Amino acid sequence: MTTAPVQSAPHAPAPDLDPYELATPWADELNRDVDEFDARAEFPWEKWKTIRRSGILTVPFDTRYGGRGGTLTDTMRALEGLGYTCRDAGLGFSASTQIVSVGVPLQAFAREELKSRYLPRIVSGELITAHAITEPDHGSDAMNISTTARRDGDAYVIDGGKMFITNAPIADLFLLYVRTGEPGPFGLSVFLVERDTPGLVVGEPLAKMGLRTSPLSEVTFDRLRVPATHRVGQEGAGFLILDHVMKREILFSFSLTLGEMSHRLERVIHQARTRRQFDQPIGRFQAVSHRIADMKIAVETSRKWLTDTGAKVEAGQDTAIDIAATKTVVSEANKSTALDAVQIFGGQGYLTGTGIERDVRNAVGGTIYSGTSEIQRNRIAALLGL
Amino acid sequence: MSTLVDEIRSYVVTEFLDGEDTSDLTPDFDLIANGVVDSLGLVRVVSHLSRAYAIPVDDIPLKPEHFRSIAAIAGFVESARPAVV
Repeated sequence: MTTAPVQSAPHAPAPDLDPYELATPWADELNRDVDEFDARAEFPWEKWKTIRRSGILTVPFDTRYGGRGGTLTDTMRALEGLGYTCRDAGLGFSASTQIVSVGVPLQAFAREELKSRYLPRIVSGELITAHAITEPDHGSDAMNISTTARRDGDAYVIDGGKMFITNAPIADLFLLYVRTGEPGPFGLSVFLVERDTPGLVVGEPLAKMGLRTSPLSEVTFDRLRVPATHRVGQEGAGFLILDHVMKREILFSFSLTLGEMSHRLERVIHQARTRRQFDQPIGRFQAVSHRIADMKIAVETSRKWLTDTGAKVEAGQDTAIDIAATKTVVSEANKSTALDAVQIFGGQGYLTGTGIERDVRNAVGGTIYSGTSEIQRNRIAALLGL
Repeated sequence: MSTLVDEIRSYVVTEFLDGEDTSDLTPDFDLIANGVVDSLGLVRVVSHLSRAYAIPVDDIPLKPEHFRSIAAIAGFVESARPAVV
């Protein structure tokens, strides 16, 4: 049953508030009817308004575009706080995608005209955004994508299609990664496209295992004509933009995951202290307490990787291995701790009503999107000269 | 220029050929054809050059010929980096 939304914190966040706390006042609204939205695989529009009011979407953007002017670390903190507070992981994932998919690359690489025209409404969350990289035949092989953009006068004509595009069914703006040259890194370029542009077709939402409130779909392009002024960065700079975005996509979305894991750990500890079997709390049984100790190690290992890699990215250091390792560590920790929680909650964890099983379904996606665990290990091995 | 070539050679050895025999790595050695620098490696090279030599990414000519060898990289860095006053 869906109840009428109530605004629990109808005020603008103070500019000096720790970004981690931005989501805190909105917990009641964000966590209302999560089970029902998940069961219907429905994007919660009212909660999106709450996300907008919280100020989370504004953190990394310049104040002249309505942003908070925060650092990369500030943004990670804001999303960690959202992950801790919000039990709707799909909504959090859509919010993280909103920040990183178009706004971040536009701010870093676009001409001022594009920034002034679009960033204020992206930062406020009025325009929902998506980036289209993955293709049906080129998942992790982004350097060899087959969607093409052909120069035609003062425009480019784009043909092809993209798959598994988060936020696509609800997006107003798309950032397309397409081929303008030979296969390889220098053939990739990036274009900003509005949803209602003739030739752009968004598919029906795809049913999926987890993150069900974050819609995704296929997007196809048939003679999609895009003004050359909507190219972001120079022609052939797509791989640089992609590198910039993927680092932040991983740091942002898995900071969200860190918050979710921290909340899960607290919940499990409470369960182990209060649930009694054989006249004692189940946490007294070493089989349970050691499992929770391992969860704690997983959470803090994730935190250390995220913090360290975030600092290196902020300092402009080479983080090729760090990003791949961070993504692998955090996504796999999320999956393993979600399964641990089911085991500790027992029969209650197996029921949909507790939200514990939902965490497992949500966690699986993290080992797949933004480069699977296998691809991350391949990358690390290659960087080690193997 | 020779200092610049040495710097870039040192970067390539450290990041891509650590622990390997680099006696063949002359300034004209083809880094791409010989698999020293792959697609993802090029991202790292461009980011490094932008950072180390204060060259805006938009000013880096994104064409394979500029990254094919240490000499080629040194050539465009020399022409693109801000003059030191």
